[in-house]
Amino acid sequence: MLVDLSLLPSPDWLLALPQLVVLALAIVLLFADAFTPRHTHSRVLTALSLLGYGLAAASLWFVDGKNQATFWWLFRADGLSVFLSLVILVAAALTVASAASYIDRLEGRMPIGEFYVLLAFSTLGALFVASAGDLVMIFIGIELSSLATYVLTAFAKRRTSAVEGAMKYFLLGIFASAILVYGMAWIYGATGTTNLDGIAASLQTSVQGTGFLEPSLLFALLLLVVGLGFKMAAVPFHFWTPDAYDGAATPVTAFMSVVPKAAAFAATIRILVQAMGPMREEWLNLIAALALLTMAFGNVVAISQRNVKRMLAYSSIAHTGYMMVGLAAYRTESGFGGSAGAGDQAVASLLFYLFAYAIMNIGAFAVVAWLQHRGRGLTLDDFSGLGATQPLAAAAMTVFMIALMGIPPTIGFYAKYRVILAAIESGPVGLFLAIAIVVLSAVSAFYYLRLVAVMYFNEPIREPRQTSTPLLNAGIGAMAVATIAGGLVFAPQIFDLAERWYRALSVVAQVGGGA
Amino acid sequence: MGELGTNHFLFLSAALFIIGMMGVLVRRNILIIFLCVELMMTAVNVALVAFARETQTLYGQVFAIFTIGVAAAEAAVGFAIIMALSRRVATVDVDEFNTLRD
Repeated sequence: MLVDLSLLPSPDWLLALPQLVVLALAIVLLFADAFTPRHTHSRVLTALSLLGYGLAAASLWFVDGKNQATFWWLFRADGLSVFLSLVILVAAALTVASAASYIDRLEGRMPIGEFYVLLAFSTLGALFVASAGDLVMIFIGIELSSLATYVLTAFAKRRTSAVEGAMKYFLLGIFASAILVYGMAWIYGATGTTNLDGIAASLQTSVQGTGFLEPSLLFALLLLVVGLGFKMAAVPFHFWTPDAYDGAATPVTAFMSVVPKAAAFAATIRILVQAMGPMREEWLNLIAALALLTMAFGNVVAISQRNVKRMLAYSSIAHTGYMMVGLAAYRTESGFGGSAGAGDQAVASLLFYLFAYAIMNIGAFAVVAWLQHRGRGLTLDDFSGLGATQPLAAAAMTVFMIALMGIPPTIGFYAKYRVILAAIESGPVGLFLAIAIVVLSAVSAFYYLRLVAVMYFNEPIREPRQTSTPLLNAGIGAMAVATIAGGLVFAPQIFDLAERWYRALSVVAQVGGGA
Repeated sequence: MGELGTNHFLFLSAALFIIGMMGVLVRRNILIIFLCVELMMTAVNVALVAFARETQTLYGQVFAIFTIGVAAAEAAVGFAIIMALSRRVATVDVDEFNTLRD
């Protein structure tokens, strides 16, 4: 069992460049927080954060197309990791744009330096999950991302509801982590390795060899699905979602509805598709049932919400359901390393949906934050008459609502279209799920359009407070434009990028030769 | 009395895990719930090390060390949040936390 360490190949640090840039950003932010003079403090830290995420996204260009594993198979740079990293970094940068003035001015001026540092560490954890090649790496990444997010949720600590939401999120989060890691332990026991490709190879032989799966593997699968379901906020593991989303400061809600969810989906794709792909017959129907429950529950409960943040929380549960349909449609015939087929389309549709969801959901929360700057609350009534008093904000919110509903010409429509297409191609269960998506989208139109109607047809309650939020305005504008332009022009290109995920399964060579 | 085999450790691990899980679901005191989750993490460590012995590989032992580290980090963050909450609400009963409602 002893290994001569000098024989191991040295790691290729360049492949981890995006992660290293974000790590450097977090450390630089820690120092800048202490040593920047007070009057430029907020602006310098915001600029540093945006620069850091921009550099990290640019460095993805070096990694793209490499398709290699390094750090002794712990770390992979493949199509899946590049696309997910892009989604996570875009979401982080958009969060910074919508958080800067909120953290600095509202809720009794929270310490912005600590906020950005925690944001960077949470982003770093999600990036590690996206590039993980091993169960240990997935677990560490998810925990890094979650722990930073628990603190961010409690960040508005002068408000009891924020700390209370954080407490519920924390208790259910660590409970889910314990279940998840117990599932990982059983997978390791059944296959003798924690490496994702090693698990896939071991399962492949046992499925082909005997056609009989050990009960311990099914037990492990169940634990993993429950643990990941908690992290993804799938019904019936969603209890924490509305309270944590409602309690957290609005930009934090925007962040935690996208980045930890992206990390959870990254882990799900890595574990279920990449490692446990050979036993997909066992998990496909389980995921399909959870997807149906999740989207039905999310959409139906969202109808009765008067608080816009809670409504968006339930809507995000519904969107988790749509994305899980993309996963349930993974019924590839060719198996691993085969040519691109229907199964590849399915996971690509999930990835594209995640990208679209990141933009439109952060956009919707950013408009809520924009209104909070102007002295309004979070209920539906606070939005009344917005179309008359603040036409641009109302227009932006309308764009995001239409995109979340899935109506052309927005990016949300294209994303939903791709998921439905993949589901129909996958067989009778998929067809049923596709019909469910269409019906439930019609249900969701009720609460999304109700908000639009309140903004345009109700009388304004009072004149909003005058204040200037240039970065937030620019961010909302960029997201609204991206939502429309993404649907009209760029959707096919982005989808092609997402489609390259299947290279994730064809990584064979370890960098540095040998082994 | 036979020799201690992998199954014995797995039964121990499963027992710890189930005790922890029941504690989380039944008890209403935040600190007890937190300790029960720690018990579940311990069950995971026992299972990992037992599997490492069974499969004659080192992955499980390495994984267990990381799990212990993560559990420590969870404790640090958890107690910070419990402290922040106890300054607002003078109770450790989770049923008393009902500011957030549908």
